Amino acid sequence: MKKFLSPAAVLAFLLLVPGCAELAEMGRTLGEEAGILSAQEEEERERLVDQSTSAVRPMTEQEEYFLGRAVAAMILSRYRLYDDPRWTQYLNEVGQTVALASDRPLTYGGYHFAILDSEEINALSCPGGMIFITRGMLRQVKTEDELAAILAHEVAHVNHRDGAAAVQRSRWIQVVTLLGTQAAQKYGGAELNELVSLFQGSAQDVVKTLLVNGYSRQEESEADESALTFLHRLGYNPYALPDTLEIMAQRQGQGNTGGIFATHPGIRYRASADMAVISQNKWAKESNPARDQRFRQVFASLQGKK
Amino acid sequence: MRIKILITFLFLAVMSSVALAASVRVITQEGVIRKDRRFFSPPVIRAPYGSVLEEKGRQGEWLLVNYRRKEGWIHKSGVQGQKFETTSLASGRAQESSQDEIAIAGKGFTPEVEKAFREKNPNMRYDQVNKVQNFNLDEQRIQSFIRAGGLKEPGGGS
Repeated sequence: MKKFLSPAAVLAFLLLVPGCAELAEMGRTLGEEAGILSAQEEEERERLVDQSTSAVRPMTEQEEYFLGRAVAAMILSRYRLYDDPRWTQYLNEVGQTVALASDRPLTYGGYHFAILDSEEINALSCPGGMIFITRGMLRQVKTEDELAAILAHEVAHVNHRDGAAAVQRSRWIQVVTLLGTQAAQKYGGAELNELVSLFQGSAQDVVKTLLVNGYSRQEESEADESALTFLHRLGYNPYALPDTLEIMAQRQGQGNTGGIFATHPGIRYRASADMAVISQNKWAKESNPARDQRFRQVFASLQGKK
Repeated sequence: MRIKILITFLFLAVMSSVALAASVRVITQEGVIRKDRRFFSPPVIRAPYGSVLEEKGRQGEWLLVNYRRKEGWIHKSGVQGQKFETTSLASGRAQESSQDEIAIAGKGFTPEVEKAFREKNPNMRYDQVNKVQNFNLDEQRIQSFIRAGGLKEPGGGS
């Protein structure tokens, strides 16, 4: 009996089972009050607490939101907003529609879409749901369904929390460890400074992934697969995604190397994989004259504008 | 003595699990509880971040909840129960976790941290970030946009 009810064994179980953080705290208190922990067991307990905290503690919705705002602030320090109410409204109408059909339609601060005044061809999603598309990318788009496809891909990255996952693991462990101390919870000067430094570093990790390194091929494929599902749910043409990727691949072949071509490798491979998903699901081509017409109306002037 | 303590402890653990199963918390800035299980259904009541909602049932992606004696539906992505979807840095992918968002809230990347970051980095364009976030479309406009484009009304991933 004693073998099964060893305090160290019980505490180890409670500390390692997900969701037992509060129970573990209760167990510690009870154990300490009862005086049943030896020095060795106390040391083991501390080790388990550290291990469980750093391995399990994820980023919360609220933290992801503030991280996303910092990422967006860094991006908007490099690129100006293309500030036209009509285009911004249309972009948000398409984007909000796609986001509502996604697997994570609600985030802490909601989804927001904006145009970057850049001729680079790119689209970016910040953690939490702020999504940017460049004017250069918009010029490549020929239909609303293609625009929806690009935004669906970015919404999928938000759904999968790929941005938050771009924060270096070691940096996040430092955040969690710092927050584990009583002092940091009260935000003393030194601790706050350290936390702000980690916050800045985390945002820089994400920006580096978005603008320089790109996501992994697996993350891109999974975002495409989710995007196709969102498009299908709404009745947008799922073929619009591989069609857009094919256009991008052609641009890449013409010597374009920056923007999306630097951060999204294997574009042609993705187009083929997307076609396979569509074929497997037997999804039909969709089209709608009303969508085509409103797209033409909104973007006619953008296409010709320098 | 040890056995008594442990039995009490395990009893409390089981009871706390049962108690938590019947309630969820709002994890968005504002939770909208609606009349029907649709995004464009009229709001019954709004609940701020951290509000506790009594869960009465589930259907598809939606939870039937009670808040301040008003009953309605809220999408599952806007609340956190005992288990919720979140990021695991170990795997880098979203997965189930039992961490308590609200218990952690206020201790990590918070408005206070953002404020200190902005003070140290005045060149960061938070004014532009706020501008992007302040652009809002009302729900009726999105609903009209969906209908006019011959699209299907999204139900929340079901």
